[in-house]
Amino acid sequence: MWEIGQGLLGGFATALTPLYLYYALVGAILGTITGVLPGLGPLGAMAILLSFTLTMDATGAMILFAGIYYGAMYGGSTTSILLNIPGEAASVVTCIDGYQMAQRGRGGAALAVSAVGSFMAGTISIIGLMFAALFLADVALRFGPAEFFAIGVCGLILLVRLTGGSLLQSLIMILVGIALATVGVDFLSGIERFTFGSVELSQGIDFLPVAMGIFGIAEVLTTVEQKEFQQKVKKVRLRELLPNQREWKRSMPAALRGSILGFFIGLIPGPSPVIATFVSYVSEKRLSKTPEEFGNGAIEAVAGPEAANNSAVGGAYVPLFALGIPFTPAMAMVLGVLMIHGLTPGPNLIKDKPDLFWTVIASMYIGNFMLIVLNLPLINLFVRILQVPKHILMPVIVLICIIGVYSVNASQLDLFMLAVFGFVGYFLRRVGFQAAPLILAMVIGPMIETSLRQALNISGGSLAGVTFRPICLTLFILASFTFVIPLAVKLFKKTRRRKPEDPGKDRKTGMME
Amino acid sequence: MEGRSRVNEKITAAILLAFSLLYFFKGLNLEVGVPKNPGPGFIPVIIGILLVSCAGFYMVRVFRKADLEGKGKRTSEGEKKNYAAILGITACAILFPLVLETLKFLMTTFVVSFFMFLVLKPKKRAFALFLAAGMSVSSFLIFSRLLGVALPMGFLEAFFFHLGG
Repeated sequence: MWEIGQGLLGGFATALTPLYLYYALVGAILGTITGVLPGLGPLGAMAILLSFTLTMDATGAMILFAGIYYGAMYGGSTTSILLNIPGEAASVVTCIDGYQMAQRGRGGAALAVSAVGSFMAGTISIIGLMFAALFLADVALRFGPAEFFAIGVCGLILLVRLTGGSLLQSLIMILVGIALATVGVDFLSGIERFTFGSVELSQGIDFLPVAMGIFGIAEVLTTVEQKEFQQKVKKVRLRELLPNQREWKRSMPAALRGSILGFFIGLIPGPSPVIATFVSYVSEKRLSKTPEEFGNGAIEAVAGPEAANNSAVGGAYVPLFALGIPFTPAMAMVLGVLMIHGLTPGPNLIKDKPDLFWTVIASMYIGNFMLIVLNLPLINLFVRILQVPKHILMPVIVLICIIGVYSVNASQLDLFMLAVFGFVGYFLRRVGFQAAPLILAMVIGPMIETSLRQALNISGGSLAGVTFRPICLTLFILASFTFVIPLAVKLFKKTRRRKPEDPGKDRKTGMME
Repeated sequence: MEGRSRVNEKITAAILLAFSLLYFFKGLNLEVGVPKNPGPGFIPVIIGILLVSCAGFYMVRVFRKADLEGKGKRTSEGEKKNYAAILGITACAILFPLVLETLKFLMTTFVVSFFMFLVLKPKKRAFALFLAAGMSVSSFLIFSRLLGVALPMGFLEAFFFHLGG
């Protein structure tokens, strides 16, 4: 406990230096802007800015990205409540009741409750992250290659189940991601794979142009395919931001429940902030004494999901800090930051770089505080960003992507990759494929391959020796539940539907006895 | 006539299968090794087999779905998409690396952004020209001078780089 306090104090001392405060502020503002803009989510912003973090140190870059992630969650709620436009996927649920509240003249209260709930959730999840990451990192120090292989595979299995959409399509995306990660020199044997004689390809397919193409350029292409329309922006007065006593009383317990729920959902692979909002909405509706209000402007339906998506962000950091494994696409971007700064993510990271860990944690507190102070008075300004014409904004984003990719390696191949993956990403979206599994598999793929090969080497080629270790077996059993449980539920429902027909019914003829 | 989304699905399935087969057969050329000592081709072959199976299954599913829906049926497409903008922006992104070394940063950015603005707002040519010029100069100053990004330099870039000391 003393160590935690000491670490946190040290973190605050570093995070409160002007440069890191500046990064936290820039991250919070950029995040809010990307959250406000429909289409460009935190992932797109992180992908676009990934290369520019090269000029910063690793801690500064991590602070910037944490600010973007949190800021996007705050910003997304603003447009959801005032305009019924979810800035990003995690704000879709907020639209349902938040917009209804705005229609009834309680938009200001909804915004305030969402901001306070988000702040509460951010704080709770950071506390959770601190303890959970330290505990898990300690445990993970005893892990061998077999355990890391099991964690990687189970992470991908859970991702397939939870991403949504077609199971087969998600599986294909994961396999394509791992396949792309195998391009280049195999660092265990030094042999080139799938390079087709290209010197540039021997270094492998860089994660950055693929991520920027699939999330940045593809996002632009998806946005420009639709007709441009201008939003009418409603003004919110400062005095309207104060919720009444009844609204506070109803919303705060919901925000607390959302915070706790969101943190635990954040630990699961997949689009955890999005899942957290849906789970929170459903559970709030079940707990509510007035469920009929849900869908017509219930304040719990704004407070709970908004807290849940912010809390899930903190939860998502746990596997990254403790195991070095990103379970969400946004965390893959954060991992990218660590890697381009020469840091090896994994259980040793917290031990080797305690300053980085504690400064990032402290900056999260500061970022959350900045967001609540900045966002409420500046709501009208952020909403006005929506009025920037698409035909100006989109070319700017494309240009930033191009310069961003070029700035890392000054490589023409990377620029081609950006364009190709941009178009591929757009095309895949149109036919219902999700890009997130591909990116995550590309990041986790090399770890899975190396761990499996090392584990097989250690076990003398016995697959049982890899899978039947206690932790591995537990993880595989848990992962298999994600397939078994839905199947069992399906079968149960089927038999229940059949049961009423059974009594007294002749199966062959269907006639009564 | 088939709906465009169905055609897109078929194209995707075909490309995925082709990619999977290429990956699998290329993987076979690598040393697979034995379980005790897996070689560089060990994982690619496993992934290749899984990929070919999944892509094959997906292809069968897409084509069967199309058959079941009937060839004469047209799937609804919703509102009209701005395909010119999509192709135009993709072309610009491909064009950029092709001309970057020859035209250097400022001219390349000017040409590419001019086309992008034009593709999105074809009627506003003068505005596009003005915006492209502003964007190329300001992006050069921000990225090269402020952020220190190494961009291809010609005489124009050298002039702007040294502007103002």
